[in-house]
Amino acid sequence: MTERLRLTDAVIKYGDVRAVNGITLTAKAGEMIFITGANGSGKSTLTKGIAGLLPLSSGTVERTGKMGYVPQYEEADRDFPASVAEIVLTGTQRPGKLFHTKSDRLNAEKAMKLLGIDALADKQIRTLSGGQLRRVFLARALCGEPELLVLDEPCAGLDAQSHEVLFGILRTLLAEGCAVVMVTHDVSDIDGISGARIIRISHGRIAGHE
Amino acid sequence: MNEILEILTYPFAYRALIAGSLISVCASVLGVILVLKHYSLIGHGLSEIGFASLSLSGVLNVQPMMIAAPSVIAASFVIIFISRKYRTAGDTAIAIASSAALALGIAVSSISGKSSNMSAYLFGSVLAVSEGDLILSVIFSAVVIFVFTLLYNRLFLITYNEDYARSLGINTSIYELIVSILTALVVVMGMRITGTLLISGVIILPAVSAKIIARGFLSLVIISGLLSLTAFVSGLMLSFIVNIPAGAGVILSNVMILILVKILERVKS
Repeated sequence: MTERLRLTDAVIKYGDVRAVNGITLTAKAGEMIFITGANGSGKSTLTKGIAGLLPLSSGTVERTGKMGYVPQYEEADRDFPASVAEIVLTGTQRPGKLFHTKSDRLNAEKAMKLLGIDALADKQIRTLSGGQLRRVFLARALCGEPELLVLDEPCAGLDAQSHEVLFGILRTLLAEGCAVVMVTHDVSDIDGISGARIIRISHGRIAGHE
Repeated sequence: MNEILEILTYPFAYRALIAGSLISVCASVLGVILVLKHYSLIGHGLSEIGFASLSLSGVLNVQPMMIAAPSVIAASFVIIFISRKYRTAGDTAIAIASSAALALGIAVSSISGKSSNMSAYLFGSVLAVSEGDLILSVIFSAVVIFVFTLLYNRLFLITYNEDYARSLGINTSIYELIVSILTALVVVMGMRITGTLLISGVIILPAVSAKIIARGFLSLVIISGLLSLTAFVSGLMLSFIVNIPAGAGVILSNVMILILVKILERVKS
């Protein structure tokens, strides 16, 4: 199976602190990896390293294919004057591609419909609830047709119905060959996908595999 | 009204009207990015560096653009770099650089005995727009609008969330560099009409007013451009009627629009 992600001996430091301390992992097409661990164990830092948002202090990260990323918190102005549709469509941007195609717009519409936010397309993001905003970020990641999906606690703030919708989408993506790396605190999330790998992180290191 | 129409028959007046309108629209469009990225002070810093450059060009007897354009562009790189690297230190760096540049400009003008130019540099003059400046403004405005339209999607993404743009593999530094060059050129072109002290207001104020009304990024850009154009034309007319510097008229119009928009928002809510 095609390898979508290879992280080798990754170290990410904040000053002298090694938030990620020598993690090696791979994710193949169609594979689901859950990352668990206590608060402050380095899970979010690890996903930022995988997504290319934080440079590795040492080690390497190789990604194959298009990546979708949903952060735990969007590090952007909550008051930014943008509509839901405008934000979702940004997920289709790629280096060297300056304009949105018709298929980008269709993908964005499809993703919004899947996550039940199509009626909010023209709403300003500042008027949304936390759960609605999370679905916007999920739609943004999905509309780029990712082959590797990195999710940092995507279920936080989602209601039961949206949670079920998300896992339905994940199962479809996995069947289509997308690799998914997802940080979660919730054991019930792990039960949602059969055959998933679970990696437990502690003090920036892999403390256990299941 | 007849007086205004009569004034507009003078070449200096229509040159100022056309050049100023174009520069105002460009400034306000770029202002949207600067306001949303919390780089509002940059225009102010650059304009005072522009003032020092204008004073220097007067002393050296060279074309103002020859010194002002490269020095303001260079300064914009430094300011954007410092602002990105050290968030808080960025504001301090701008304050230090701008006051040092202003002091240098005043000192150079005074020593050289050309302090009579100082007022025109600081507060702007509609008489400063030559035929050549008008042509340059038209070309430059076309470039700004073309580049902004071409890179619109990218500029929106980077303005909204630079981190997310990087996660998509996009090199955000290139686009920041482009915005800083365009801003520097807007400052250099605009400060001749509105003055170095007031050009930053032309960049920032329309975007601030438009942000209150706009429902999305595209509408914000369009509304900002329209408000800026309205403020420039009405401000220029005001300056003709009550005989005040054009820059002051334009900024006062912009402030009036901001107050009006704020009142309308209050009434609506």
